[in-house]
Amino acid sequence: MNQTQTSTGPILTTDGIPLKVSLKKAERINKIRAFLLVLPLLAFILITFLVPIGDMLSRSVDDRQINTVFPKTFEVYQKWDRQGLPSEEVYKTMFFEVKNSEGYNIGKASTRMNYSKSGWKSLLKKSKRKFKKIEEGPYKEQMIAIDKKWGDIEYWKALGQMVDPTTMGYYLNAVDLKYDSNKEIVQQKENRRIYNKTWIKTFKVSLLVTLFCLLLGYPISYLLATLPMKYSNLLMICVLLPFWTSLLVRTVAWMVMLQQKGVLNNLLVMSNLLADENRFQLMYNQTAVVIVMTQILLPFMVLPLYSVMKTISPTYMRAALNLGASPIHAFYKIYMPNSVPGVSAGCLLVFIIAIGYYITPELVGGKDGQMVGNWIAYHLKTTLNWGLCASLGAILLAMMTVLYWAYNKIVGIENIKLG
Amino acid sequence: MKKAIKVAFFGLISMAFVGSAIADITFVSWGGAYTASQQKAYIDTYDKGSSITVENYNGGLGEIKAQVEAGNVTWDVVDVLPDQAITGCDEGLFVKVDQSEFINDMVVPPVSDCVVPQIFWAYTAFYDKAAFPGKKPKNIKDFFDVKKFPGKRGIHTWANALIEMALVADGVKASKVYEVMSTPEGIDRAFAKLDTIKDHVVFWSAGSKPLELVSSGEVVMALAYNGRIGAAILSEGKNFEYIWDATVLEQEYLVAIKGGNEKEALEFMAHASTAESNAEQAKYIPYGPMRKSSINIIKKGEPWFITDSGNIDILPHMPTTPKVLKRAVIGDPVWWADNGAEVSERFGAWKGN
Repeated sequence: MNQTQTSTGPILTTDGIPLKVSLKKAERINKIRAFLLVLPLLAFILITFLVPIGDMLSRSVDDRQINTVFPKTFEVYQKWDRQGLPSEEVYKTMFFEVKNSEGYNIGKASTRMNYSKSGWKSLLKKSKRKFKKIEEGPYKEQMIAIDKKWGDIEYWKALGQMVDPTTMGYYLNAVDLKYDSNKEIVQQKENRRIYNKTWIKTFKVSLLVTLFCLLLGYPISYLLATLPMKYSNLLMICVLLPFWTSLLVRTVAWMVMLQQKGVLNNLLVMSNLLADENRFQLMYNQTAVVIVMTQILLPFMVLPLYSVMKTISPTYMRAALNLGASPIHAFYKIYMPNSVPGVSAGCLLVFIIAIGYYITPELVGGKDGQMVGNWIAYHLKTTLNWGLCASLGAILLAMMTVLYWAYNKIVGIENIKLG
Repeated sequence: MKKAIKVAFFGLISMAFVGSAIADITFVSWGGAYTASQQKAYIDTYDKGSSITVENYNGGLGEIKAQVEAGNVTWDVVDVLPDQAITGCDEGLFVKVDQSEFINDMVVPPVSDCVVPQIFWAYTAFYDKAAFPGKKPKNIKDFFDVKKFPGKRGIHTWANALIEMALVADGVKASKVYEVMSTPEGIDRAFAKLDTIKDHVVFWSAGSKPLELVSSGEVVMALAYNGRIGAAILSEGKNFEYIWDATVLEQEYLVAIKGGNEKEALEFMAHASTAESNAEQAKYIPYGPMRKSSINIIKKGEPWFITDSGNIDILPHMPTTPKVLKRAVIGDPVWWADNGAEVSERFGAWKGN
């Protein structure tokens, strides 16, 4: 085809323009039209998805809020050798930058400084109030007289972590590391190490939930796909009704069921299967989180599985059985490989939703069921350490990306099917 | 016909403008019996024209900071804890208010320039009388003594007040608690004491939960906000008993959010912080007013608390009577504003391990 074209020259339309150009022109209008049609969606995704994620990522390393407040102090601070207290010059610059600061800069900066060392907040607040009365130097002694923290070298060293406009501090914090006062990376104090354990716990709970969802969801979906219509419709309603029920209602219903004096324990005690003092502790722990999340996320496993299984023709299995395979062998060799796209889709979906779960662990998690989402909420609302929230969120995002990549390598993303 | 539509259209627009001369206020508080008391005492009695919408939140400055930073402020007046009042005011999230009206009538001086007084509330231990037919727990030591009083304890999911209570249970004088807490050894000591009940605790985060836990028998004792306990006893006839020991007294304030309907918000706050209003709130929930003169109004007006079956004396349920104050810890919001994050992370590690 190509050869004939080159040998006879370009094909022309009736008005003498090459067909290629003419086609392109006609297509261009179509392309523009198509682009305009998706433009609202594109803008929507950009504004509601990419911009917030970008903002989150920049917040996780941004340390400017303090640099703009003490620019001069940080300049002279660089000359300090970190042996013994800083010179009068550093004190003096700090003094004037605190005294002359306007508006809420000091307040915002002190929140940030408090992450590096607890105590900065009240120190700056008190100093700002008392500095007004000091008219002339030397400032070092007068500042130490106002609060002895000004004479504590640890506070000055803590400032050193904040000199750069960007910081890895939040990411370090999110994996139980920190900068020490000499800006070396060290492990967090043992009694403050929480995030690594939380990461592991979050992974463990998500994996367990995915596994249980698969174990429960597979037979259900199989039934849904193979039963005659009138039964499968009823079963489908049983799957969908909880799906349409509010998440909170379902969580609270489980609390009623599982607590120590709840329905399940009461039934067991009443039927003498369990002694009154040995009631199961099924609520306010990790077990509760796994049970409740499994129930809540089950439809996300069943629906993709069902839609894939529906397309597996029953004749395949019949053929296998006809050729002498045992039912188990036939299932293993024929049905399961065919249902893999649904299994992948379901597992990925459940795992992704589970790993960022917040409300259920909050309500039923008790002391050992708290996941990463709960810490993000805590820092977001209570400590206002949004940098740490952002870094925790970014790590979650990175983990999902890695998982997705690994999945693509091992199973292949074209093997995923939602219907 | 077209003209008629035009007239109607502009009529509507101008009505909208007239209507917005007095902006409406969104009032945000903690929900439950507490918000209900504010509704009756402050909102139902307010007649300055703004109509007030009530919303609930679970504390923290996160939502407020997000609203102010995004320039999309939908909350106008918020009920906040003292350490948040300090941080929010410092960071410029709240409007500064004129405090001359009440500054000399306060039990403790206000924590920042942005607040008007509401009430004192307290973390208090309590139990259901039915749970202890014999000897009853009398002080915070008993709360931390699982040998003497076996059974689970309901405690909240954050560190405030727990550290203080643990130290008092370990023998520190209530008035010296923050001195001890300011040393690393003091914090270690508090956590060591918390370790002794660790395997016997159930956590709660919503204020109504401890009442539920104790009512259902899930725990034998719990810490709760004293007003919630009082409301359950007074209005629902629950058989609860307070343990008025190492009660941690906390302050509660109203603030106006910067960028909201500031003028109307401040007007409403002025109304909600008069001595009469503060006393009025105690008719519906047993929290102690922060203004000295409110307490006198209540004393004169006893029986003050309104229930369906007639009024009841409220002072025995107040966390600010001399009897309770003698054994109470006065919460120090400045300490928590400074050390809250660090202690909270350690508390989180303690919870999770």
